[in-house]
Amino acid sequence: MSVGQDTPPHGSGTPESVDAPEGADTHETVETLEGTVFDIGYQKYTGPREGRRRARIAVYKDGVRNALGLGRGARAKVLTWFFITVLGVIALVMALIAGAVQRYVGGQAVEALNLPSHSDYYGIASIVFLVLAAVGAPELLCPDRRDGVLNIYFVRPLTASDYIVARWAAFLSVMSLVAWAPQTILWIGLTMGDPNPVDYFLENWLDVPRFLASGAAIALYTTTLAMMVSAFTTRRAMASVFLVGMFLISTAWTSGVAAAVGGTLGQWISMFNLTNIPVHVNDLIFGQVSTVTVGAPAGELPSWILVGWYLLWTLVPAVILWIRYRRLAL
Amino acid sequence: MEALLTAENLTKRYKDVGALNDVSFAVSDGITGILGENGAGKSTAIKIFLGLIQPTSGSAMILGEDASESIAVRAKVGYMPEHDCLPSTVTAAEFLTHMAEVSGLPPLRARTRAADMLRHAGMFEERYRAMGGYSTGMKQRVKLAQALVHDPAFVFLDEPTAGLDPAGREEMLDLVRKTHRDFGISILLSSHLMADVERTCDRIIVLREGRVVQTGDVSDFTEETATVLLEVDTNRELLVVALEKRGIVVTSDGPGLYVEGPDELIYDQVRDALVEAEAPLRRMAPRRRALTELFERDGEDLRSGRNA
Repeated sequence: MSVGQDTPPHGSGTPESVDAPEGADTHETVETLEGTVFDIGYQKYTGPREGRRRARIAVYKDGVRNALGLGRGARAKVLTWFFITVLGVIALVMALIAGAVQRYVGGQAVEALNLPSHSDYYGIASIVFLVLAAVGAPELLCPDRRDGVLNIYFVRPLTASDYIVARWAAFLSVMSLVAWAPQTILWIGLTMGDPNPVDYFLENWLDVPRFLASGAAIALYTTTLAMMVSAFTTRRAMASVFLVGMFLISTAWTSGVAAAVGGTLGQWISMFNLTNIPVHVNDLIFGQVSTVTVGAPAGELPSWILVGWYLLWTLVPAVILWIRYRRLAL
Repeated sequence: MEALLTAENLTKRYKDVGALNDVSFAVSDGITGILGENGAGKSTAIKIFLGLIQPTSGSAMILGEDASESIAVRAKVGYMPEHDCLPSTVTAAEFLTHMAEVSGLPPLRARTRAADMLRHAGMFEERYRAMGGYSTGMKQRVKLAQALVHDPAFVFLDEPTAGLDPAGREEMLDLVRKTHRDFGISILLSSHLMADVERTCDRIIVLREGRVVQTGDVSDFTEETATVLLEVDTNRELLVVALEKRGIVVTSDGPGLYVEGPDELIYDQVRDALVEAEAPLRRMAPRRRALTELFERDGEDLRSGRNA
């Protein structure tokens, strides 16, 4: 088969006789078809042009692929998928323990042991979830700025707002699915592990909308914060290290100082524990304090303050992110 | 001929600095070169037409629409930047498919167009390699291909031969010419290399300090001069003596001899000198002005040039 700019249309599809090898029946010939690709020159595009809508979808799809490392080498996938696996394993272990105790010890033992359940999952897994955001978010923003791709995005039917909203929505989708998938595993595990799955479902069905809402809240918080930090550097590693450091230092520092100071000031210092901010919202959704926030002084503050604080830490980074990209476009 | 780009009294100021000052010009079908030194306003003008920045005053129309208002018009415009714009870990095929989709093409059509464009740009065999391993010439070809992948009506090329060796430069200029001749796409080519513009463009716009100082057809600027170029195989020195004996001023430049002649008489005198010196003539032609001379002339002379 040949491909060429000036390939003449000779021999196309013409049966070509090939001499039979020596010793073979000389009456038989082998016929082969030689294929030729014609260069028909430049073709004007006459198909549909779907404009800005298609541009947004393309950036969104590309964002999802980048976040999960799809279509990239092993190095782009390893960290993301490691943390996704860890999140799944945590849920699986919780489901297996609860199921084993239920089956072999009895339902009363489950209640007596106060085994961790849906309301505790995000508290237990929050740090892994935050590290996953710290690793994944820079993949969506940093390379485009480092490699100078932004300029050729913005000369197409796509505004800076379209771009950043599509990227943000892509990472939010990934983080929401990653938040919901382990809870779904846990839900299936707990339902199937119960001797009476139907009874378990009827008694605990409210856990499903609760973990969906709580998962969306933690995904929204981590996505927005991680994207905002990633918008200020072209180096992925720098953004990731800064985010992980921010979460770890705020957790370590506020835990010790808040307890030592005590009172209202201690409660407010405890509010700066960045890992716990979405977990307090999770506690409000489930109506019970999780194993992680049980000792946090901030949990004693009124619900509206906890929700307001969460919204502040979500909306302000979102606005900063949006302004940052509007300015980058200029 | 209908104008594809029109700048009318276009002004762009950054605080106290004027990047463009009351600039007006029109660009029609063909290849137009935009020339100027650094800071002349070339990039600012291109960015305004691409909708990346807003003019302080005046209007910039592209394909009949206001460049600063219409986002939809960008689906019919391509841009090849001077700087790097290729992600290193992505293959050319994947990148072009994505860029075609961002320009509004449905996914299946985008994939087909990407393969076609890479073939036209001579990158078909390398399309599944990550672009981080490409040479400068290959990267320039992919940059051009991404600008054309959605079949624009008009394309801006910013220094398309930057960083290329002579062979690569020649290939890129061939591609640029082919883009207009075979693909029917009009081009605004920004360059500081006069030879590239002279060999590629039909028309030029010369900017200096944010103002248009020259516009017109390249052939007008490279018109014949009163100087005659002579090249001979042997007896060069004897020819110089024979010419000077006839009162002709001779200047030497490489293999050529330049003689000034105000009228047709010069050709008779050159003929006689050639006979006298027994110098075999290889070439004799009126010298054409080079585009570079535009920038060698006095600045005031440029400002008072045509259509300024």
